Amino acid sequence: MEHSKQPFLKRLLSVRGMGAALTAFAGLIIIYIAFGLINPTVFSGRNIVNLTRSMSKYLIIGIGQSYLLITGNIDLSIGSVVGMSAMISGTLMSGGMHPIPAILVTLVACLLVGVLNGMLVGKFQLPPFIATLGTMFVARGVAYMVNGNRNTNAIASGIGQEMGDKFQNFFYYGDTLGLYNTFWIAMILFAAFFFLLSKTRTGRHIYAIGSNADAAKLSGVSVVSTVTKAYLVSAFCSFVVGLILCAQASMGNMEAGNTYEMYAVAAGVIGGISPLGGTGLLLGTLGGAAVWQTLENGLNMIGAQVGIQRIVIGVIVVFAVLLDVVFRRGIFSRKSTKKTNELPAGVQK
Amino acid sequence: MNDIIVSMHDICKSFPGVKALDHVDFELRSGEVMALLGENGAGKSTLMKVLSGVYTRDSGDMEIQGKAYGNLTPKQAQAAGVAIIHQELNMCRHLTVAENMFLGREKVRGVVLSQREMEAEAAEVLGRLKIDISPRTVVGDLPISKQQMVEIAKALSMDARILIMDEPTSALTAREIEDLFRIIRDLRATDHGIVYISHRLEELQHIVDRVTIMRDGQYIATMNFADTTIDQIITHMVGREIKEKFPRVTCEKGKKIFEVKNLNAGRMVRNVSFSLYEGEIVGFAGLMGAGRTETTRAIFGIDPKQSGQIFLDGKEIFIHSPSGAIRQGVVLAPEDRKKDGLCTKLSIRHNIALPNLDLLCNRLGVVSHSRENAMCDRAVKNLQIKTPSVDVDAANLSGGNQQKVVVGKWLARDSRVVIFDEPTRGIDVAAKVEIYHLMNQLKKQGIAVMFVSSELPEVLGIADRVIVMCDGQITGEVMARETTQNEILTLATRFENKMAAGQ
Repeated sequence: MEHSKQPFLKRLLSVRGMGAALTAFAGLIIIYIAFGLINPTVFSGRNIVNLTRSMSKYLIIGIGQSYLLITGNIDLSIGSVVGMSAMISGTLMSGGMHPIPAILVTLVACLLVGVLNGMLVGKFQLPPFIATLGTMFVARGVAYMVNGNRNTNAIASGIGQEMGDKFQNFFYYGDTLGLYNTFWIAMILFAAFFFLLSKTRTGRHIYAIGSNADAAKLSGVSVVSTVTKAYLVSAFCSFVVGLILCAQASMGNMEAGNTYEMYAVAAGVIGGISPLGGTGLLLGTLGGAAVWQTLENGLNMIGAQVGIQRIVIGVIVVFAVLLDVVFRRGIFSRKSTKKTNELPAGVQK
Repeated sequence: MNDIIVSMHDICKSFPGVKALDHVDFELRSGEVMALLGENGAGKSTLMKVLSGVYTRDSGDMEIQGKAYGNLTPKQAQAAGVAIIHQELNMCRHLTVAENMFLGREKVRGVVLSQREMEAEAAEVLGRLKIDISPRTVVGDLPISKQQMVEIAKALSMDARILIMDEPTSALTAREIEDLFRIIRDLRATDHGIVYISHRLEELQHIVDRVTIMRDGQYIATMNFADTTIDQIITHMVGREIKEKFPRVTCEKGKKIFEVKNLNAGRMVRNVSFSLYEGEIVGFAGLMGAGRTETTRAIFGIDPKQSGQIFLDGKEIFIHSPSGAIRQGVVLAPEDRKKDGLCTKLSIRHNIALPNLDLLCNRLGVVSHSRENAMCDRAVKNLQIKTPSVDVDAANLSGGNQQKVVVGKWLARDSRVVIFDEPTRGIDVAAKVEIYHLMNQLKKQGIAVMFVSSELPEVLGIADRVIVMCDGQITGEVMARETTQNEILTLATRFENKMAAGQ
């Protein structure tokens, strides 16, 4: 029963979900090298730096969605909350509000959507697909309405050029230690949420609920509060991406973040987060987001059309889930899947 | 040592229409293994659910470790030291052993999980039980037997003093049973009280100190195991009164219609062979989990068969799917009416038409309304389904009428073999009698009827011939008029002796 003496690789692979996550990274390396061989610009330092920034958005929303997928739920409101975040912060700043209070107001608004999702799914037991479909429309509606159905003006027009540049550099254009700030923001969020998921009680409960909600409940885990926390994480991640998009465009765009919820599912699923709940590592989500952006980047570099890019992504997502399903069936076949009788044993007549 | 740790007195519990527990007494001492015995539906599980707080008793007194409890909740029961090791294991299969053991009461340092501490404590408990499982193993990767031991370890890590084990050996091999028994003996030696529910009477000699027998929701007897015999126990278990009158119809036994030869489908269907004849109802008796439902599922093509042959009217037929079975004339009225038998959100009309759309559609695949109406009218009339119209949601019918709809859809085509799996479960006496008439009607029409039921009186009252199964095998075949409940129960508990006697 001594574990520390096992070889490193074996110990690494014994972590649940590590196999799938490493598969994503292996795929990443293969894809990267393959594109690089076709077009050596792919290997250039400039390209790598750009790549790390472009994958950051997808990594962040992927983290949020992964939290939900692991609990066996889904969050379709991600893209709309991104839009809400971009529009609220953009409207406030272009109206002259200092970035810090503007960001705080935006944060509160986004977290409200997270609480609402958590209540609808956790407390009122709505199917998560429907509940978050509803909040998806509502949040997008809010994004449209905050500036009266128009995109915002440039934020610099409200807070001045200097402050506007500061905001834009902080979230998008600036760099630290040779890499864009966006990437560092993504890494900090990644580290924080990685810690939350793997080292804290909340994280443990998130896995438990996705694995067997009844057993978790019987062991005293609060499903409502755990699910709500997961939706809050997701809303927070969307909030950050909204700010990034606002900084990138220097204004709030009403369509910002459109269909991001699906990109987030794709990033998680490619990285081995099981859409059926219970397993997956954020490391996989990192791999998934990287695989995807490398693909898009590489296909761009070799001049493939957008249509081709979409088809390739679609195939890869399905293939990743197919792997997961086949793997699960392998596990199920070893277990008895006996039906249980709902009727109390005493009731026969 | 040996003080009374559970005492239940005059416990009553009713469910709508059923008295599940009728003034039951039960007592458990520390340092003993108490077997709780009885047929299916005797009230054993209900009693234990009252003790563990899952059900609230209607009346009666309950004392656990010297403290009186009224309306016990599962949480209170847990705090009082009661733990159930469920038959269907209740764990998160993606989490590790230690994670499962500490689920909901994780140890933390600040906000950080103290994985090491939990693993060490889990290892300590597992070590105390001499269970060789690493606390870092993922539970889903463990065999059932080990998962069960993890549940026991989980209970002990919560300081449970009273452990209830519901059929703990049903899924285990001989070796695993030995391990389990060793653990049970250790627990007994450390002053725990164990309630052991099992149908495997031959096992009792290895571990049991006392037995309590229940029947029909009533307390029958408590005895020292050493002072009694298996025969005596069986006699106490089966003394059920036969209250209903069974409308038996005598027919001439005709030619052989259906034959199953050496059917194998997993562990629960092993070498099953039997024949069904024109003009008789063949009852399938046995305890829950004897493999009868699995046999019907394999025949009907729901579960894959490993080997075996099926003959209809002397010709071999091959069934690979339910639709194949239906086309050949073999149909099933499944155990769980609402789940498997009916589409409860559809009308009676759609339910009856569903398996018969091939007969109702024209060549373009359009359903003929007139043919559908005719079919439904015939079913309602022949089976006397009580409903205002055939467009009523099937879920709104009473249990008996639902069963008639299930049968009705099969009779609309020329089925040769009708398999009923627990057709009378959960329906009232009058409706049961109608189901019996229905089976008799089929029998008179020369249709082979296979009748699976866990209720011995109705099997003896309705079937002509009774095949008894136990643990996936046929253990006997008797004529209903010449046998006794004792004989059938003896056959139904004839498990393969997994353990050498006297160990």
